[in-house]
Amino acid sequence: MSDNKNKQAEDQEKKGAWKLSRREFLKDAGLVIGSSTVGSIAFSGKAEADTAERAENIPESDNSVTIELTINGGKYRYRVETNWSLRQLLRDEAGLTSPKDWCGGHGACGSCTVIMNGRPVLSCMTVACECDGAVIETAEGIAKEKHPVIDAYIKWNAFQCGYCTPGFITSAKALLDRNPNPTETDVRDALGGNLCRCATYQQHPPAVLEAAGVLRNKKSK
Amino acid sequence: MKTWKKFRHVNPATIDEAVSVLESENASVIAGGTDILGAMRFEILPEYPEVLVNLKSIKGLEYIKEEAGMLKIGALTRLEDIAKNNSIREGYTALAEAAHRTASPHIREMGTIGGNICQLTRCWYFRNPDNRFNCIRKGGEKCYAMAGDNRYHSIFGAVKGCIAVNPGDTAPALTALNAKIKTSRRVIEADKFWDMVKPGSTILAPGEIVKEIQVPALSRGMKSSFIKFAVRSSIDFPVVNCAALIGKGQARICLNAVHNMPYRVIKAEEFIKGKAVNEKNADAAGAAAIEKARVLPGEKNKWKIQIARTMVKRAILGCA
Repeated sequence: MSDNKNKQAEDQEKKGAWKLSRREFLKDAGLVIGSSTVGSIAFSGKAEADTAERAENIPESDNSVTIELTINGGKYRYRVETNWSLRQLLRDEAGLTSPKDWCGGHGACGSCTVIMNGRPVLSCMTVACECDGAVIETAEGIAKEKHPVIDAYIKWNAFQCGYCTPGFITSAKALLDRNPNPTETDVRDALGGNLCRCATYQQHPPAVLEAAGVLRNKKSK
Repeated sequence: MKTWKKFRHVNPATIDEAVSVLESENASVIAGGTDILGAMRFEILPEYPEVLVNLKSIKGLEYIKEEAGMLKIGALTRLEDIAKNNSIREGYTALAEAAHRTASPHIREMGTIGGNICQLTRCWYFRNPDNRFNCIRKGGEKCYAMAGDNRYHSIFGAVKGCIAVNPGDTAPALTALNAKIKTSRRVIEADKFWDMVKPGSTILAPGEIVKEIQVPALSRGMKSSFIKFAVRSSIDFPVVNCAALIGKGQARICLNAVHNMPYRVIKAEEFIKGKAVNEKNADAAGAAAIEKARVLPGEKNKWKIQIARTMVKRAILGCA
């Protein structure tokens, strides 16, 4: 029993040590390619970023696959286990913490929404290894490109604790990408799968409609 | 969040390839994934698939087309694309509305029509994590809902001892529209597609894959409609829903979430056939629809009977 425990602790230590070294490695890599990222994990949202490799950690087997995907404009290659969710890949490997977990993986709350190939999808209900070739946008990417929906959400106080906000932002952006001139009903429909425990629901339609207006003005100029 | 157990992931190029994996291994298909991945994550079934066969890697299963007086929808067509398609909205209103009212917008963007008609029941004893209730539908001996909390369960009795309901929204619409389901082996009428087959809800054989949904075009003078009652209208499964197809002296009306499978209300169909679609007739048809309805022990599902009556009435009025 105690032997088992020791072994577990040892394994964990090894894992931790590996994680640290990987992070350091990536930080260095980030500096070398001169990307402007900050934080413990170097992650570039720039379209011109080199393909980052995260394949060193998992051995080739029946249960792992190498995928290439575009995340917030940057191209990445990962070796993923088949039983990883996209949310797991984005948070634990790519270091993007905006896809939240609220309902525990039932697909019932919308907090983990990301935009995949133009569709708002639940990253907790998406198998990572099926995302080969996918183009993915998270709330981080939307904030980075200074999309007007961010300012509109701040102006309209469309959040309180903020936990569900990335899910709303991605859902709203996906709507505006496809429908530049939405009605209030369209907005309510599109955000119908996002839950907010602070009950800020009333604030979302005016915020999204305002962002739509800003986008239209930008276009007509 | 619970992660899935390890599984092998296969990307077949053809239906035949997928079928051969399904027939030779402990495998399950995955399309949109919104049902199977939940069932796997919470380990609701006694068996766990060792292999997932990804149907999305098979080309040419995602389409909507009208051919020879028939609407054809590829099994992998996303529900949102069906809900937004103009020719379905105009010509097959019940189906477009049913697809639009299914689950939440995100699930509709992921979930496919083929997966939607094959989904497992939502009975909360059946769905309890870690297979805590080994109920009749899983091969056990007892229905825990019968003596337990059955407020969302059948109002038209049990099938083989199970009182869980079919939770589909497109299922009643396809039944009312007299659709056919084309699989890798045969073509099945919607009327016969659903059944209580442990633990599933369709008569599909092991290794059989849904390829296409075929809906005959409505002739002139016929109209269809779909209506749903759910606790939270933008996200929930139905408490009761109803689809109707009425006109030219014919009527097909189908309730769902009231029985083990979509439930055609023949009495209401016979009553409304050839009659004017108005408030009085629709109300009487609604009353005829629930003649055989009965409450379960504990009477917790009594409220559903009144809702079913009203859904039938409103679905009929939707065809005015």
